[in-house]
Amino acid sequence: MKRSLPFVISTAALLLLATAGIAAGPGPDAGGGSLSGVVKFQGTAPMPMRIQMAADPACSKSHASPVMSEEVVTDGSGGLANVVVYVSDGLGDKTFDAPMQPAVLEQKGCVYEPHVLAMRAGQTLKVVNDDSTTHNIHPTPANNREWNKSQPPGLTIEETFARQEVSVPVKCNVHPWMKSYVAVVKSPYFAVSAKNGSFEIKDLPAGTYTIQAWHEKLGTKSQQVTIGANESKKVEFDFR
Amino acid sequence: MTRSTGRIAGILLSLTLLLLCARPASAIPAFARKYGLPCSACHEAWPKLSNFGQVFRDNGYQLGNDRDSPIYQNPGYWPIMFRTSTQWHRETFDRFPLDSIPGNPNSPTVESNITTSGFDLTGIDMFAAGTLYKNISFGIQPFIDNTGRIHLETAFVRFDNLLGSPWINLKFGKFELDNLISERRILTLDNNGFYQLYHFKPAGDNNIFGGLGSNQLGVELLGHSRNSYTRYSVSLLSSTNGAVNLPTNHTYDVYADFTQGFEIPGLGLQRVGVYGYFGKSPTYFQTSGGNAIPGTGSGNRSYYRTGVYGLWYIGKFDFSTFYMHGQDNVFLGNGVRADQPFNLPLGAAGPSWNGGFVEAHYTYNPRLILISKYELIRMSRQANPSRADNFGNLDTWTIGYRWYPFMSTRAGLAWLQEYSRTQTAGTAPLSGLSSTSSSYLMGFDFDF
Amino acid sequence: MRFRTLIPRVLGLLLLACSVASAQESHIGDLTGHANRGKALYERYCIFCHGTHGDGRGESAAYLDPKPRDFTQATYKCRSTPTGTLPLDSDLYDTITRGVHASGMPSWNPLTRQQRADLVAYIKTFSSRFTEEKPGAPIPIPAEPPTTPESVQRGADLFQSMNCWQCHGKEGRGNGPSAVSLTDTKGYPITPFDFTSGPRFKCGNSDTELFRDLVTGLDGTPMPSFTDALKPDQIWDLVHFVKTLAKGNTVQAVQSTPKGNQ
Repeated sequence: MKRSLPFVISTAALLLLATAGIAAGPGPDAGGGSLSGVVKFQGTAPMPMRIQMAADPACSKSHASPVMSEEVVTDGSGGLANVVVYVSDGLGDKTFDAPMQPAVLEQKGCVYEPHVLAMRAGQTLKVVNDDSTTHNIHPTPANNREWNKSQPPGLTIEETFARQEVSVPVKCNVHPWMKSYVAVVKSPYFAVSAKNGSFEIKDLPAGTYTIQAWHEKLGTKSQQVTIGANESKKVEFDFR
Repeated sequence: MTRSTGRIAGILLSLTLLLLCARPASAIPAFARKYGLPCSACHEAWPKLSNFGQVFRDNGYQLGNDRDSPIYQNPGYWPIMFRTSTQWHRETFDRFPLDSIPGNPNSPTVESNITTSGFDLTGIDMFAAGTLYKNISFGIQPFIDNTGRIHLETAFVRFDNLLGSPWINLKFGKFELDNLISERRILTLDNNGFYQLYHFKPAGDNNIFGGLGSNQLGVELLGHSRNSYTRYSVSLLSSTNGAVNLPTNHTYDVYADFTQGFEIPGLGLQRVGVYGYFGKSPTYFQTSGGNAIPGTGSGNRSYYRTGVYGLWYIGKFDFSTFYMHGQDNVFLGNGVRADQPFNLPLGAAGPSWNGGFVEAHYTYNPRLILISKYELIRMSRQANPSRADNFGNLDTWTIGYRWYPFMSTRAGLAWLQEYSRTQTAGTAPLSGLSSTSSSYLMGFDFDF
Repeated sequence: MRFRTLIPRVLGLLLLACSVASAQESHIGDLTGHANRGKALYERYCIFCHGTHGDGRGESAAYLDPKPRDFTQATYKCRSTPTGTLPLDSDLYDTITRGVHASGMPSWNPLTRQQRADLVAYIKTFSSRFTEEKPGAPIPIPAEPPTTPESVQRGADLFQSMNCWQCHGKEGRGNGPSAVSLTDTKGYPITPFDFTSGPRFKCGNSDTELFRDLVTGLDGTPMPSFTDALKPDQIWDLVHFVKTLAKGNTVQAVQSTPKGNQ
């Protein structure tokens, strides 16, 4: 069957646009609302444990002062750090494409930085070894593929998690004190609370959402929030 | 008539119910406990071995995963199991010679039917087997018969995988002859589990050899390929029929057996085997004061049992086929001392016979197996020519099933029902007609 | 809006249908295994350790160490595919045939080849990953260079610098400083391999299989993959070195031997 050239070009253009459209997907709506707040800790924080790194001199000599465990990190005035706050429900079945830039997890002084890393499902996780000793990077997810790679000094490893999981424990078997968490969220609406407990989720479209706050030791808290277009809402989570 | 049809109907009904209820599974239990494997891993339906179990046995009760040696076992583990069966059974005999007036031995003898039934026990098998060390295994099997008498069925030590090869294994002691259709692992319980051919001796034959089914004393060299498809065994055995304290003399028997397995795609593993037992038995003993002296067996005369067998698998069906040709020397066959040939009847000959059986199973699942068996023995030559040609010919058939209510790694229980019928030609004492006996049994067979 | 998602959806469905059909089958060489036949075999041989649901929680599991594999996670130790990816059918077949040394998993070599292939097909049905993903691409295994003293020395150096000794110990006895803290992914304590114990490697004893273990890692355990960390020649050096540990060599002994000596 004969096809005219303009027809071919327009079909090709349409196909190209369609594929570009499939690749791009819908992004966060500009002019959306924002959710901010504080994660508070009530009561006395448990004493952090001192981490012994004597087993590997390359680790212990990179620290002048003692290194403490980071299971519960507070700022002394009620703020709780390292809490992953994210939208767990209310987005329907909207899909979001992963950003191009990677999420970075660093190994410095045989400690993971950050202690809790939040990233997108499908986003590249870039693991960097800034130490002079060999680590192995071993996430043990429940909802994603488990992998385990040796990482000598200077080597960068890139991997990805396909599915939402809050959170994937990450450890180094060579240095058993090294523990961190990677929270994999399928939407862009998440934040990790700072040392003083503050967090902000920007560009949230109007709607009613379930917001969850996850802490590695103190559990998960949940709240319903309705946010209007361009509205700034404050929300607080209390852990004890 | 109505009673037997009622019984048959009852059997069929139970079978149907079981087929509806039998669900696939959510032997030697000592092995199951040691390794955490269920009975169904080594046994198609215990006690019948699967190829996995056969390899385990050929390896000297070792899985070969470096967890065999006793050092890897919990110190509380004891490698022993007990097996027994509690039954209700009914036996009938026809043409049994009875005094016509009970209690009066001078009254004429008549041939009459005897029927008896009731609850009963079999003996208790105790089997301790396993490893003493890596590649040194053992087996001890005392047997308590149902009157409480103990004797030693089995006691051996075995050096496995000598020179690192599965082709060289040396067993020393008292043990069963290597035979893939083993009477020790028979699925039927009539006569405490019995193949006629494994014990057959023509009437009047005084050969002390008890047949392939009798455990013997000696040494065995056995070899097998890693998956036991190819197997051979050669044994040198004392001519005592496994009896202790050197009762006969210092002669030896030889037994050899070879099997080859091969797969037929879509059907399963098939095996063919060939065997031969060549022995000598004494026909008289030296005496002192008229009493026979053990160990002085004299006038040894030879005999043999040889044949072929096969195990055939077609999906859930399997068949065991066995053929034997047996022959005893004329002195043994007529029970006459070899130093008194004048006592032989005119025209005496060494008796010989051919026999075989076919045993068919249907393993519905590891917890239900249907069994049927037909066995026949035909005399090809009588020891005493005055006997009819067919004297002693035997036909026997059995049907039954075993149902295992559970399959676990700790113990085993089977519910079974069996019916068997045996007919022997010419052995009715008065009329010279055939004798028939039948046996119906039902009960529980359990081990732990 | 519909056009954008229609083609991917149709393609996805087709792919799913094909993979579901093939997930009920296994292909190992010339053998095709079928899950429906494998189910009857699994119930006879496997469920008492691996569980009715393939989750490694059979009747015997409480008494076993190491624990039976949980097939629902599709995480397997012995693979020829990269870490985090599914094994090939032949990897599962080989594990069933070989057994796992020093564990409750026997060698199922006495089963026929067809039976083992059927079991592989059934085991795959326990995890939906086998319908959602393809197995990883098998890792290339280059030809093994000869075992020279220099190779063994380089391997000894790598054993040190790659921190193998932290878990496996300076003598390879499995008693390194981190060894007591090690757990498998299920949280059960696990000990690093003791190289001095001889050819008892869980995934096979040949040099090629050791090479593979190092490149793919043993998923589900602390043993990582060195695929990004080392080049193939270096991996062979490590293989050559750890083989010498069975004969009583230690890292120290190797390093004290002047290089170039016989």
